[in-house]
Amino acid sequence: MSSKSVGDTVEKFKSISPAEFFYRNKEIAGFSNPARALYQSVRELLENALDATDAHGILPDIEITITRDKSKSFVYRITVKDNGIGIPPHYVPDAFGRVLFSSKYVLRQTRGMFGLGAKMVVLYGQMTVGEPVEIITSPIGSRRVYAFKIMIDIKENKPIVLYKASWPKNSDWHGTIVRVAIEGDWGRARQRVIEYVRRTAIVTPYANIVMLTPDNEVYVYRRVTESLPPPPRETKPHPHGIDLEMLKMLIKSSDAKTLEEFLIKEFQGVGKVTAERFMRQYGFDPNRDPRTFTQEELEKLAKALKEYSEFRAPRADHLSPIGAELIKLGLQAILKPEFVEAVTRKPVVYEGHALIVEVGLAYGGAIPPSDHPILLRYANKIPLLYDEKSDVSWKVVAENIDWSYYGIQFPAPLAILVHVCGTKIPYKGVGKESIADVPVIESEIENGLRQVARALKAYLAKKRREEELQRKAITLIKYIPEVARSLAVFTRASEPKISPEELEKKLFELVKRRLPEFPTNIKDVKDVVLSIE
Amino acid sequence: MFPGERVPISSLSSSIDVKARREAMEKLRQKFLELLKKVLNGEEPKMIIPKRTLSNTIYDKERKLLLLGSETFERNFLDMREARKFMQTVLMASIIYEALVNNEYPTIRDLYYRGKHTIRYRDHRGRVEEENTWDEQRESDAVLRDIEVYVGLLREDMLILSKEKGKVVGDMRIRSGDDVIDLSKMGHGAYAIEPTPDLIEFIDVNAEFVLVVEKDAVFQQLHRAGFWKKYKAILVTSAGQPDRATRRFVRRLNEELGLPVYILTDADPYGWYIYSVFKIGSITLSYESERLATPKAKFLGVSMTDIFGDPETGKKPYLTEAERKNFIIKAKKTDIKRAQELMNYEWFKTPKWMKEIDLFLKKQSKLEIEALTGKGLRFLMDTYLPTKIETQDFID
Ligand SMILES: Nc1ncnc2c1ncn2[C@@H]1O[C@H](COP(=O)(O)OP(=O)(O)O)[C@@H](O)[C@H]1O
Ligand SMILES: [Mg+2]
Repeated sequence: MSSKSVGDTVEKFKSISPAEFFYRNKEIAGFSNPARALYQSVRELLENALDATDAHGILPDIEITITRDKSKSFVYRITVKDNGIGIPPHYVPDAFGRVLFSSKYVLRQTRGMFGLGAKMVVLYGQMTVGEPVEIITSPIGSRRVYAFKIMIDIKENKPIVLYKASWPKNSDWHGTIVRVAIEGDWGRARQRVIEYVRRTAIVTPYANIVMLTPDNEVYVYRRVTESLPPPPRETKPHPHGIDLEMLKMLIKSSDAKTLEEFLIKEFQGVGKVTAERFMRQYGFDPNRDPRTFTQEELEKLAKALKEYSEFRAPRADHLSPIGAELIKLGLQAILKPEFVEAVTRKPVVYEGHALIVEVGLAYGGAIPPSDHPILLRYANKIPLLYDEKSDVSWKVVAENIDWSYYGIQFPAPLAILVHVCGTKIPYKGVGKESIADVPVIESEIENGLRQVARALKAYLAKKRREEELQRKAITLIKYIPEVARSLAVFTRASEPKISPEELEKKLFELVKRRLPEFPTNIKDVKDVVLSIE
Repeated sequence: MFPGERVPISSLSSSIDVKARREAMEKLRQKFLELLKKVLNGEEPKMIIPKRTLSNTIYDKERKLLLLGSETFERNFLDMREARKFMQTVLMASIIYEALVNNEYPTIRDLYYRGKHTIRYRDHRGRVEEENTWDEQRESDAVLRDIEVYVGLLREDMLILSKEKGKVVGDMRIRSGDDVIDLSKMGHGAYAIEPTPDLIEFIDVNAEFVLVVEKDAVFQQLHRAGFWKKYKAILVTSAGQPDRATRRFVRRLNEELGLPVYILTDADPYGWYIYSVFKIGSITLSYESERLATPKAKFLGVSMTDIFGDPETGKKPYLTEAERKNFIIKAKKTDIKRAQELMNYEWFKTPKWMKEIDLFLKKQSKLEIEALTGKGLRFLMDTYLPTKIETQDFID
């Protein structure tokens, strides 16, 4: 069967660097083929640009430029420029050249949080085209501009700086420009990329986003409001969200001398009274130094922290919901509907982490009618485009809700926006493109949806009433000119002559008096009857 | 007057026309100025119009007439369901009025075209829609009838013309317009009864009865054979369903000249109905029966008993067994249905008609007048018709 000798079967053991791991498994991070890679690259760079702006209270101005290489087919250059906080020059090489290096490893809601995105783009570009990434950045408050060209040493997972320069800044710009060359497939990625940017624009109505595509199309999403959602604040973990390993790390990094001090200092929702009650109930000594805990004691502590029900509920101020007003503005600006409504639900707890669901609804206007609602899904402000049908939102929108109850008959021009934000979101699968149907999230989405759908129902009922009023008025008014003209014919031979115009006015008044409620937008016969040329 | 000088139409019109025109104008104007005044005074513009429905059609047994009942309905511009009809009614009235003012003689088709135009408006959803004042002539005809009953003027009175269908010959002179016409000097042709028969003046007549023939072809045969001369008749044809002018003309012959009227139709339900329209009026036009119907008209034939004989009275059939075989046509389903309908009409519920219809339903056969000329024109002219009249073998 085999000519191999026994010696060949001896396993060789070695470890690989994170860079090499992702180099070998690039599909995990969404770089499975040239089309998907192009889409994913634009996404990572755009998300970093937004994290560097709105999370820091800056109104984003972002330019995305995608160009096709003139001679090499399937080679594209992506440039993303922002007006964000910039990157301190000494961090730039690691930020772009060391996988799992990030400024976002804290409990705070941002788009990125794994220290991976930028590096995957760089890695993928390096593999397929071989050019270094170019970064130009000027941190906020800095007087200089810094430029880098960086590649990644895959075996060692560390940056190779090929070029480095800096010069004094003569404008007040701050922010970052990142430029990479990758192998891509614009033809097949086009629609998703455009849709991704459009959906991003819906939830960032406070941003200017401009995109130039390889087809030389320009997409411009203008800022429609100056108000930003409040930036998320960093927070301490909640006792219910903790596990044994995290507990060990916290103890290690804490300078607390006693258990009581440790609990009060390192957790949210734990004050002196709560800490004492907790320790009394489980029989912990408040004065013990947590560093002296045995493995067994640590396990007991971790279990008790998860179990104890008297802690205050997790806080949500490290989360950054978009807010009902901004959702409405965004839907209004991009979808141009006739009706919008949105709601931000109260925070709920999912496995010890706070979570907020927001639901928006847009109806009519420029929305094309379709056989089911158009679903716009977001997780931590990131649009989710793939795997729609397996998402919990789809289940709620398509299965749980009986739309006819809300006066909707499909095909209908209806769009539903669902935003789930939290520091822990139960994604389905590694692609992170859909959210699992966890009961608390499902019921939050459903309740939110019912809330906005009720508003739609009321709006439609009002509209129908108004239309009915108008229809009635128009049924009569449309004949007024004809009746006036005909009746005036009989006065020609007699004095005094009466003009059709005078009769029109009289008839209009009669109609107005006849209808108890008269539509306010009809002021004159001419608002209804148009002349025929 | 010099050649080429323009002559106003009115001075070319007959004096009788001018008078009729003036009267119609005045009546129409009065009626619609009332409406206009209501609008100016801020009152509801509404017309009270007699209903023209079967339910409001009454058979007057005494006078033997189909008459319009006393039910009325309200056509109010401010009523959603009536607004369009209201618009159509005043529109039609204004066109008729203008035609009268301008010395015109429109046909109902003219009126339809003159009034048909497009209203463009924005609907309750903001879409631009178009609607015609009326789409089909059926609609404009309907409001014309409404105006006739509302104003109390027949279309003839308003100088609205329709196609001439009826014809007449006989030893008689009439004045039509400003001309005298001798109905005995029409050659092989005949006088086409004008659409406004009320404007005809009877000058003198030398006849003993009126024979109305449903079929134009039979009329021509009898005319050329000299029937009216030989039997002192006024010979009329309606060429199928009689129009209003023919009915009015026949009525005047009967009423004003005292001539008995005999009607000759095919032996089938359609022939019977033609007779009943002459005699008592039609349902759709019941409002004119008072002026158009000839209650004393008699159904001369061809009757079922003429074909099959009547054992009850001992009447012999005019056709032999063999002739019957040749001339009789099998009745169609629609004929049967129509016959059953007629049985329900009040005015057919007489013993003689019941016998006639029963026999038809039993034999399921019908016969055209031409069958009698098929037996020989002389038979029709010198045997059948004189015998029927002499023996008073008709249905009243
Ligand atoms: N446009 C940018 N402006 C400011 N900082 C940036 C920008 N792009 C990347 N960074 C920095 O580089 C780090 C690494 O980015 P990335 O690899 O995408 O991981 P992540 O976004 O998950 O942190 C970020 O945490 C951030 O500090
Ligand atoms: Mg990132």
